[in-house]
Amino acid sequence: MHTHADLALKNIIVAESLGKAVQTSEGVLHILRSIHLCIKSGESIAIIGESGSGKSTLISLLAGLDTPSSGTIRINGHELTTMSEDGRAAMRNELIGFVFQSFQLLPSLTALENVMLPLELGGDKQAKSLATALLTRVGLAHRLSHMPRQLSGGEQQRVALARAFVTRPVILFADEPTGNLDSKTGATIIDLLFELNQENNTTLILVTHDQALAARCQRTIKLDSGSMV
Amino acid sequence: MSRFNLALRLLWRDSRSGELTILVMALIIAVTSATAISLFADRLQRTMTTQTADFLAADLVITSPDVQPANWITKAQALQLHAAQTADFSSVLIENDEMLLASVKAVSNAYPLRGYLKITGGDYSEEHTVHQGPPAGQAWVEKRVLSALKLKLGDALTVGEKKLIASQILTYETDKQGDFYSFSPRVMINDADLPATGIIQPGSHVHYFFQYTGEASALQAFNQWLKPQLNPSQRMLDIHKDRPELGSALNRAERYLGLSSIIVILISGVAIAMATRRYTERHFNATAILRCLGLKQRDILWLYGCQFVVLGVLASSIGCGLGWFAQQALFHLLRGLLPQHVANPGLLAVFFGFIVGMAVLLAFALPPLLRLKQVSPLRVLRRELEPLPSSAWLVYGLALGIIAVLIERYTGDAKMTATLLGVGLLTLLVLGLLVYGLLRVTGKLLPHLNLTWRFGLQGILRNSGASVSQILAFSITLVAMVLSFTVRTDLIDNWQKQLPDNAPNHFALNIFPAQQATFKQDMQALDITHSQFYPVVKGRLVEINNTPVQQVVSKDSQGESATHRELSLTFTQQLPEDNKITQGTWWQTVQAGQVSVEQKLATSLKIKLHDQLTFTVGSQQIKAEVTSLRSLDWDTMRPNFYMVFSPGTLDAYPSTLITSFYLPEAHKNVLNTLVKKYPAITILEVDVIVKQFKTILLQLTQAINYLLYFSLLAGFTVLFAAVYATLDHRIQEGAILRTLGAKRSFLTKIHLLEFGLLGFIAGVLTVIMSEAIIYSLYTQVMHIAYSPNYYLWLVIPIVGSICVALAGYSGIRYIVNKSPVSVLREL
Ligand SMILES: Nc1ncnc2c1ncn2[C@@H]1O[C@H](COP(=O)(O)OP(=O)(O)O)[C@@H](O)[C@H]1O
Ligand SMILES: [Mg+2]
Repeated sequence: MHTHADLALKNIIVAESLGKAVQTSEGVLHILRSIHLCIKSGESIAIIGESGSGKSTLISLLAGLDTPSSGTIRINGHELTTMSEDGRAAMRNELIGFVFQSFQLLPSLTALENVMLPLELGGDKQAKSLATALLTRVGLAHRLSHMPRQLSGGEQQRVALARAFVTRPVILFADEPTGNLDSKTGATIIDLLFELNQENNTTLILVTHDQALAARCQRTIKLDSGSMV
Repeated sequence: MSRFNLALRLLWRDSRSGELTILVMALIIAVTSATAISLFADRLQRTMTTQTADFLAADLVITSPDVQPANWITKAQALQLHAAQTADFSSVLIENDEMLLASVKAVSNAYPLRGYLKITGGDYSEEHTVHQGPPAGQAWVEKRVLSALKLKLGDALTVGEKKLIASQILTYETDKQGDFYSFSPRVMINDADLPATGIIQPGSHVHYFFQYTGEASALQAFNQWLKPQLNPSQRMLDIHKDRPELGSALNRAERYLGLSSIIVILISGVAIAMATRRYTERHFNATAILRCLGLKQRDILWLYGCQFVVLGVLASSIGCGLGWFAQQALFHLLRGLLPQHVANPGLLAVFFGFIVGMAVLLAFALPPLLRLKQVSPLRVLRRELEPLPSSAWLVYGLALGIIAVLIERYTGDAKMTATLLGVGLLTLLVLGLLVYGLLRVTGKLLPHLNLTWRFGLQGILRNSGASVSQILAFSITLVAMVLSFTVRTDLIDNWQKQLPDNAPNHFALNIFPAQQATFKQDMQALDITHSQFYPVVKGRLVEINNTPVQQVVSKDSQGESATHRELSLTFTQQLPEDNKITQGTWWQTVQAGQVSVEQKLATSLKIKLHDQLTFTVGSQQIKAEVTSLRSLDWDTMRPNFYMVFSPGTLDAYPSTLITSFYLPEAHKNVLNTLVKKYPAITILEVDVIVKQFKTILLQLTQAINYLLYFSLLAGFTVLFAAVYATLDHRIQEGAILRTLGAKRSFLTKIHLLEFGLLGFIAGVLTVIMSEAIIYSLYTQVMHIAYSPNYYLWLVIPIVGSICVALAGYSGIRYIVNKSPVSVLREL
């Protein structure tokens, strides 16, 4: 089991000469080229860049959702590229939390069940109490048994935040978490995100368009046509 | 035209992506089975109508106890009809001190108008087919006549007072009628010789048959002119009544096959509806964009309508082609039952299959497709905007409508259609509610289950409407299969079990009273056990309480057919074995003028205790009072009688005797000895008939099973449709789960569990339904002992879960292999 003290100031994510290319009908398309990246534990990083510049692709590689065409990624010392898909899944469950632009809650589960889900997948016996506590923390104590479709966008994203933090992840990936929300709701969600991040001392990797938001992070990485600038 | 091109191009794209495969498969299956049945029924119909004429020797036949009225002859001539006539009567022939009761048929020169006769000059290998009866002065006889009267071909044979030459042996007679007990041998003569025989006197018992052929319209006109003039003793022959053994088996086969094909169509329809629903949902976005780009609602409908019509035409054409082959196979399976030469099918029958295809597509695909028309262009901006589902009235109304039309076509009976439809709907409703309730109850278990089971079960509960229809579709298919299998084997097994080991398997008929003693002795010498000898007097029931029976009986009843033919009447002091008195009392003292009537016939003819019945025997009348009603078991293979008289009533009339006996297969050669010694006695080998009956039963069930394979296929398309209808959703859910750290094995497990559970529930439902049906069928209809089929309870749910899990597995690989990265991208 990892404790946060162990990981303090260690390099939690190390990516070297990362590249991603896909085969399309018009030939090989290079989405990402030679990315070098070193992220320390507890750091907060913003990834910015135009639409289509490869931000989502980058975090999908860093989170082990996808495999790079070239280069290596180490998370917490484990080489991702040599792991099996199920090995990466187990690692995600243990170390990583996600927040997405389109929330990605399971529509057939209640708010509470959605939040319990990653704990249950990891075999945690206290799933219910932990999830309830976190939903209370994000201000949804009274909506536990509601279905996602009964919740507003902001509320759904709060459930997603609770789901992301409930496993006390070491790293949180957020892909344009306010992209589907109006600016006022978006601002409260971002505040909540940073609060939770502080409380849990989580490493944050945030994809955003918003310069002001990027400024709240310790470091900014800019992507242009798949390369870091 | 460019719009049509657009429609075609979109269709081409969709078909390449495999969107439409299930829909097309389901449609092809439906059309194949519909075409096969329609072709089958059509050919059967054609065969029956052409051969009907052969079986009756003419297109239109009237039977009458009196000679043909002169105005009939003139009318027939005026309409340019061909006419022939025959006169049938019994006569005792005596030659060489031997006596034989023969069934004489005097035919006119034009006989037979349809069909043919077969004769031979002694050697069976040289059979001739002829289209004319014997010339004047000659008699054609069955071989039995020669042996019984110690004659050979060319000898003189005196019929009544007329001396004729027995010139040919008659081996086949196109319109031979006869029931079980009236097998007196045939002597055919020319009707020019009839007056000279002197047999036909006023009051003598003769059946005249007036036969006509000609143009259909002329026949129709003649028929209409004639019908009102018929008196109660004159009757038009009808293939279904007069050769019932032929018509009914095939009619029933046709009806069963038709109804089973409706099951296939219904199940395919469910698959089509499910597949179209998915298709529609996947096209919401594209439609919204097309609407944004300026297409009107009408254009949208036209665009998709075109695609479906093209699809329907293609799939239906393929189905028609396959149906043709399927129909050939059906004929092959039923070849033993069918006449040798089957008519060619009409093109219209193929067209029917095509129409069914288009109609099924319309009925089941239109309602979900109509939702596309409702897609709002605003969806481009707001993805969550979904069009309203089509009205339930439209969905179920269309489907019901087409099913009703199909049932009507196969049963040809509005009342029966309504009953079938009503009962079917009610059953579906009750079962649907049952399954729904069951799912709701299981839902309560959810919080107590572990994660894997919870997800598995949730998959079913999430879309309980779709789950219920899948479960129903699959279990109906399974029920049909289970029934056809168990009922067939149980029926045959039970029937054999019911016959005790040495139950009689032969009948001996037409034993003359003078022969009885020696025949008995010979049987004993041959170590044959036989049942009681019963005297048989041929007679006809004419009046009930002095009212002619024709006015009492309802049409098409068992009673009606009993009044149209001569019954075998008997008399005995003792109540026959296996008979039970249900009303009244059996005669204790000998008192003539009493009759005991078989219960079912009594019900059909509305005969009650103490009714006065009038019979004609030959030209005489006999009256008797009903003093008891009896029930009896027709399957016992002992001589059974509708009418049993008290001794003294019939004794004075000429009678023959009947008995039954048991002869093991190995001792069949004993028959030869008996037949040689008693040529006039008819021996019926019932074991052969039983065997024949069994093959007929087997062939029929085979044909029905064959159709059930189609329904099984259709059942599988429903499964696949169901799996694919929810696939997008499952993929997305799987991606999220995997992002959160779920393993592939977990995903595989929850889906297998879900499908397995679905199949299990369908299996349990199947067992419950089949047991209920089998129970009521056995106890209420077939009267055989019911015992629960434990192996069904074990096997069917397992088979169900395996089948469904297998179908599901085909979709699971998409779910497990989808990269979780898709959660980062909009679908
Ligand atoms: N599987 C793929 N096949 C083809 N092109 C892809 C694939 N995945 C991503 N792309 C392309 O790569 C580019 C980067 O995508 P993405 O990482 O989603 O950009 P961002 O998140 O910065 O908007 C886009 O142009 C996208 O179309
Ligand atoms: Mg992106």
